[in-house]
Amino acid sequence: MKLDSKAPEGPLEEKWRKHKKEMKLVAPNNKRKYEVIVVGTGLAGGAAAASMAELGYNVKSFCIQDSARRAHSIAAQGGINAAKNYPNDGDSIWRLFYDTIKGGDYRSRESNVYRLAEVANEIIDQAVAQGVPFAREYGGLLANRSFGGAQVSRTFYARGQTGQQLLLGAYQAMMRQVNEGGIEYHPRHEMLDVVIIDGQARGIITRDLVSGELKRWEADAVVLATGGYGNVFYLSTNAKNSNVTAAWRAHKKGALFANPCYVQVHPTCIPVSGDYQSKLTLMSESLRNDGRVWVPRKKGDDRHPNDIPDEERFYYLEEKYPSFGNLVPRDVASRNAKIVCDEGLGVGPTGLSVYLDFRDVIKRDGKETVAAKYGNLFDMYENIAGENPYEQPMRIYPAVHYTMGGLWVDYNLMTNIPGLFATGEANFSDHGANRLGASALMQGLSDGYFVLPATIGNYLADVKPGTRYGTDHNAFIEAEKGAQDQIDKLLNVNGKRTIVDFHRTLGKIVWDNIGIARNKEDLEKAIKEIQELREEFWTNVYVPGEKNNYNKYLEFAGRVADFFELAELMARDALEREESCGCHLREEYQSEEGEAIRNDEDFSYVAAWEFKGVNGQLQEELHKENLEFEFVELKQRSYK
Amino acid sequence: MSKDMTIHLKYWKQAGPDVPGHFEEYTLDTVNEHMSFLEMLDVLNEELQLQGKEPVEFDYDCREGICGSCNLVINGQAHGPKAEVACCQLHMRNYKDGDKITIEPPRAAAFPIIKDLVVDRSAFDRIIEVGGYVSVKTGSAQEANALPVEKEKSDEAFEYAACIGCGACVAACPNASASLFTGAKLAHLNKFPQGEVERSNRAVAMVDQMKEEGFGDCSNFAECEAVCPKGISISAIAEMRRDYMKALVS
Amino acid sequence: MPSFIKAINSQVGRKIMTGITGIGLMLFLIGHIVGNLTIFGAPEAFNIYTKTLEDLGPLLYVIEAGLAFFFLYHTILGVSIWWNRRKARPEGYKKYQTKGGPSHQSLASKSMVYTGIIILVFLVIHIWTFKFGDTEMVKLASGEMARDLRALVIEKFTDPLYAFGYTFVLSLLILHLSHGFWSAFTSLSMKSKEASKKVQMGAYGFAIVIMLMFIFIPLYIYFTGGEGSLISY
Repeated sequence: MKLDSKAPEGPLEEKWRKHKKEMKLVAPNNKRKYEVIVVGTGLAGGAAAASMAELGYNVKSFCIQDSARRAHSIAAQGGINAAKNYPNDGDSIWRLFYDTIKGGDYRSRESNVYRLAEVANEIIDQAVAQGVPFAREYGGLLANRSFGGAQVSRTFYARGQTGQQLLLGAYQAMMRQVNEGGIEYHPRHEMLDVVIIDGQARGIITRDLVSGELKRWEADAVVLATGGYGNVFYLSTNAKNSNVTAAWRAHKKGALFANPCYVQVHPTCIPVSGDYQSKLTLMSESLRNDGRVWVPRKKGDDRHPNDIPDEERFYYLEEKYPSFGNLVPRDVASRNAKIVCDEGLGVGPTGLSVYLDFRDVIKRDGKETVAAKYGNLFDMYENIAGENPYEQPMRIYPAVHYTMGGLWVDYNLMTNIPGLFATGEANFSDHGANRLGASALMQGLSDGYFVLPATIGNYLADVKPGTRYGTDHNAFIEAEKGAQDQIDKLLNVNGKRTIVDFHRTLGKIVWDNIGIARNKEDLEKAIKEIQELREEFWTNVYVPGEKNNYNKYLEFAGRVADFFELAELMARDALEREESCGCHLREEYQSEEGEAIRNDEDFSYVAAWEFKGVNGQLQEELHKENLEFEFVELKQRSYK
Repeated sequence: MSKDMTIHLKYWKQAGPDVPGHFEEYTLDTVNEHMSFLEMLDVLNEELQLQGKEPVEFDYDCREGICGSCNLVINGQAHGPKAEVACCQLHMRNYKDGDKITIEPPRAAAFPIIKDLVVDRSAFDRIIEVGGYVSVKTGSAQEANALPVEKEKSDEAFEYAACIGCGACVAACPNASASLFTGAKLAHLNKFPQGEVERSNRAVAMVDQMKEEGFGDCSNFAECEAVCPKGISISAIAEMRRDYMKALVS
Repeated sequence: MPSFIKAINSQVGRKIMTGITGIGLMLFLIGHIVGNLTIFGAPEAFNIYTKTLEDLGPLLYVIEAGLAFFFLYHTILGVSIWWNRRKARPEGYKKYQTKGGPSHQSLASKSMVYTGIIILVFLVIHIWTFKFGDTEMVKLASGEMARDLRALVIEKFTDPLYAFGYTFVLSLLILHLSHGFWSAFTSLSMKSKEASKKVQMGAYGFAIVIMLMFIFIPLYIYFTGGEGSLISY
C-alpha cells in the first residue's frame, strides 16, 4: 500500500492557502443533502460538528457521555498555544511550527505542523468571540504565559481550566446548531463499528448505552474524534471512559493505525498511592514555570523535605539542562524523573516520586501571588494528597497522559478508507513522537473548526448527493451482527476474574514494558504476556448484568477487549522502531548520559499498521510513510 | 500510616425510571483513607461482582472534578460533606472507621433515574440549547484583541463559567430549582461584550426552558452555592433575575 | 403588556413579586407598630390615632383593599412555590441535610410557609377582634365621639389566652422576617456578597426589634393588669 500524505506542493507558508484555493467546494443547496456522522464531542468533534452544521451539512453527533460537555478535553488545564506574538518576544508562526516539529523530535509532517501553527491564531479569535474567559491583563487585553519546550510566552489560558472553557465554547456552538436543527444529537451512544460499502465509509453501528439497543446510522462521511488510547495503561490521566474502541474497530475494518508506540508520559502527576487507584491526576505543567524539581542527593534520605538544605538537594533538571531548566519538554522531564527514581533517589512512601518545590517562588513573590496563579491546583493537590503545597513541596511522578499515535490520516485528515476521517487525539498527525504542552487543544480545535470543515467538502464534492444504500444493506447487517456477537460472547464467558482486574493487570504489563523506557527483551516479553492474558480474558472474564440495560461494566468489557489487541500492536511498533525519539526511548539507543539517540537514516517514517487478524497473536502489516524534511534541518534535540 | 477502615454503606438501587427503588446495604472493611469516594465504590463493585451480585451503577468520568459526571448525594448532601469538591475528589480521609454512609441519586422530576444512582440530566443540555451561547459562526470572529475586556469583568465571568454542569445545585435545592446552573451561564455570557448583544433573548429563553423542564422555583435557600463544587455564588441568580426582568419589562 | 404578565408569572417574576409584596408588608408592619405604641402616649392618643384612620373613609377602604391584596398575593405566591416542590421532586430524599457555609437553609427559611400560614390565620382573628369588635363610644377632648379601642385592647390583653396567643404568633415574626427581609432583597437582585451579609444582619435586627415591639404591648398589659405606669389614665 502506497501511503500518500497528499501534502500540497510549494513553499511551506503557501501550502494550506494554496490547498484551500484548490479544494473542491460543495454548493450551499447541495450541502443539506449530505449527512456527516461525528463520533465524539471533545474539542475536535464538538468544533467539527458545530462548524459543519453551520456550513449546512446534516450532522449527527454521538458521544458516550451523558452530555457533549463532558468529553475529556474538558480536563486540559494549562493552555493553548498560538503565535499571536502579543508579548513581542520574537514569536512567529514559523517559530511555533519549528518548536512543535522539534518538540515532536522530527517525526511529524512539516506540512501538517505548519498548518497547525498557522491556524492557531484564528482559534484564539474564535474562542474569544464565543466568550471564552481567557486570562487578561489589566489593560483588558489577553495575557500569555510560557510553557515547556518553548522560549517565548505564547500560551493563552483560563486559569487551570483552559480545556474546560474551550470545550464549553465548542459545546455551546454545537448546542446552538442542535437548536437550529443542523445537528442531531445522540449522547450516551457508543460507536461499535464503522460500516464500509464499496470501499467507502458509509455509516456506523452504535449501542444506546441506556437501552442497550444496537442502532444503524447511514451517512456520506464519518468523522472519528474519539480521543486517545492512554487508558490501555489502566492508570493514566485520561477519564475513566476514554477508550480506543471506535478507532480500533475502524482499524479492524482497514484503517491504518500509525505510531501506536508514541505515548506521552506527563511529568507532573500526583503519585500512585495504592492498588485501588483508579486514575492519576495531573498537575498542570504550568507549575514548572515556578516550581523547582529536586530529589535528595543522598539515597534513602528520609528527612522532611523542608529540613534538607539546598546543597544536599539535587535540582537535576536545572543542573542537566541549564538553558531550559525545569521547562524542558515533557518527555525529557519524565525520563529524568524515572532515572533519579531508578537510582534510588525517589521520595515518598513508594520511592516513586520527586519533589516539585514552590518555596523559592513563595519567598520571592509572596504567597498571594502564587495563590492567584496556581491556587486551584494547590487546593486540588492538597485535597488529593493530604499535604499543603504552600508549606512543603508537592510530590509528583510521571503518568501516561496523551497518545500521539492514532489513526493514520492524510493532509485532509482522511484515513486510508475514503470517507472516514479522524481528528484530534484520535489521529496521529501533528505531534510526531512527542507533544509539547498547550498543543493538544490547539490541534483539536484546528482540526475541528478550520481544517476538517474545509477538507470534508473536498471529499463530499465527489460523492453523489443523496446517495443512500439504506441501513438494511448487507454491510450494516453484518456490522451490527459482529457487534452483537461480541457483546454476547463477553456476557457468556461467565468467568472468575473481573474486568477491572484484567485491565489493571494489562495496564501493569504495558506500563512496565512499553512505558517511559523500552528495550527489546522487555517488549518481546510483554507481547507474550499480553497474548496470554488476552487468551485468559476471553475464557475467564466475568461480565455482570444484562445487555438490554444500562451496564457500565459491559461497556468496559468491550473496551478492554480492544485494549488487549492495541497493547500488542504498541509493543510491536516499539520493537520495530530501533531508535530513540521523543517519548519513545529505547534503552539500547541512548548516549552515555542517557540522552535519546535518533536514527533519521532508518526511521524517519510514520509506521502505519494494517490489521490482518487476531489468532492467538495479532497479525499486522507495517506500511511506511517516509517523512521528508524540506524546510527544517534535522538536529539532535538539545535542551541543555 | 494508613489503616483500613470499615464503612457501612446504604445505597439506592433502582432498575429503571418507572420502577420503585430501594436501599441495599453492604459493609466494606478494606477502605483506605487515600481512596477517593468513587474508588471506594469501585471496591464495593468488585466485591459484589466476585459474589455474583449486581454492581451498583453510578456516573463518573474524569475523576478530577471537572467533567461534572459524578453527582452522588451522600448522607443527604450533594457531593458529600466537603465544600467546593466534587464527590470524585472527596477522599475517604474525611470519614472515620465505622461510619455509616447513605448514597442516593440526585432526586428531581427533571432528572429521571436511569439506573441506580445514574440520572438523565439532558434537561441541562436543552437549557443551553435555547440560548447558552454567543451566536458566532466559525471563521467570522474578529481579531481577539480588537475588543478589550476589563480584567475584573473577565475574571468575574470566569467564576460563573467554571460551572461543570453536575446538577448538584438541583439535587440540593429544597425546590429542585436549576436557577444556579442557568444563572451561571447567563452571568458568564452576559458579562462579555461579545455576549451582551443577545443578553435579553438569552435570558428569557433559558429561564423559560428551565420551567419547561420541570425544575422548581428558587426560594433563596442558597443551598446550591453551598454544594456547588466550583463555589459559584448565587449572585448569578441575581444577575439572571435582572436580565430576565429587564428583557421583559423595560 | 403581555410581556409584563409573562414576567410576573415566570419563576423569576413570582419570586420578585414575593419580595415586593413582602417589603410592602414589612413597611405596613412598621406603620402598624408605630400606631400601636401610641397606647403608651397620652390617654387619648390611641383613640385619636384609630379615629383618624377611620375618618379616612373611602381612602381607608382603598388602603385596606391594597393591604389585603398584598397579603393574599404574598400568600398565594409563597404557598404555590412551596407546593411546586412536590412536582419538581416527587420522590424526596430518605436522608437530607444542609451543607452549611453560604447556605441560608435554617429553621427560619424552611418554615416560611408554616409561619406565614399561622400569621395569616391569626390575622383573620386579629381583624375580627379589633376591627369588628364591640366597643363603647367615648367622647374625646375635642368633643368628637370615637370608638374606645384602647379599652378593647387593654381588655383583650389582660385575657391570658389572647395575650399569650398574640405573643406566640408575633414571636414567629422573628423567623419569618429574619429570612424574609434578606430574601426579599435577594429576590430583587441584590448581588454583592458584602451587601448580602449586611442585609442579613439588618434582617436579624429588623426582625428582633419589630417582634419585641409587637409583643411588648400584650405582655406589658397582661403583667401589669393594664395598670402599668406606661399607660396613663
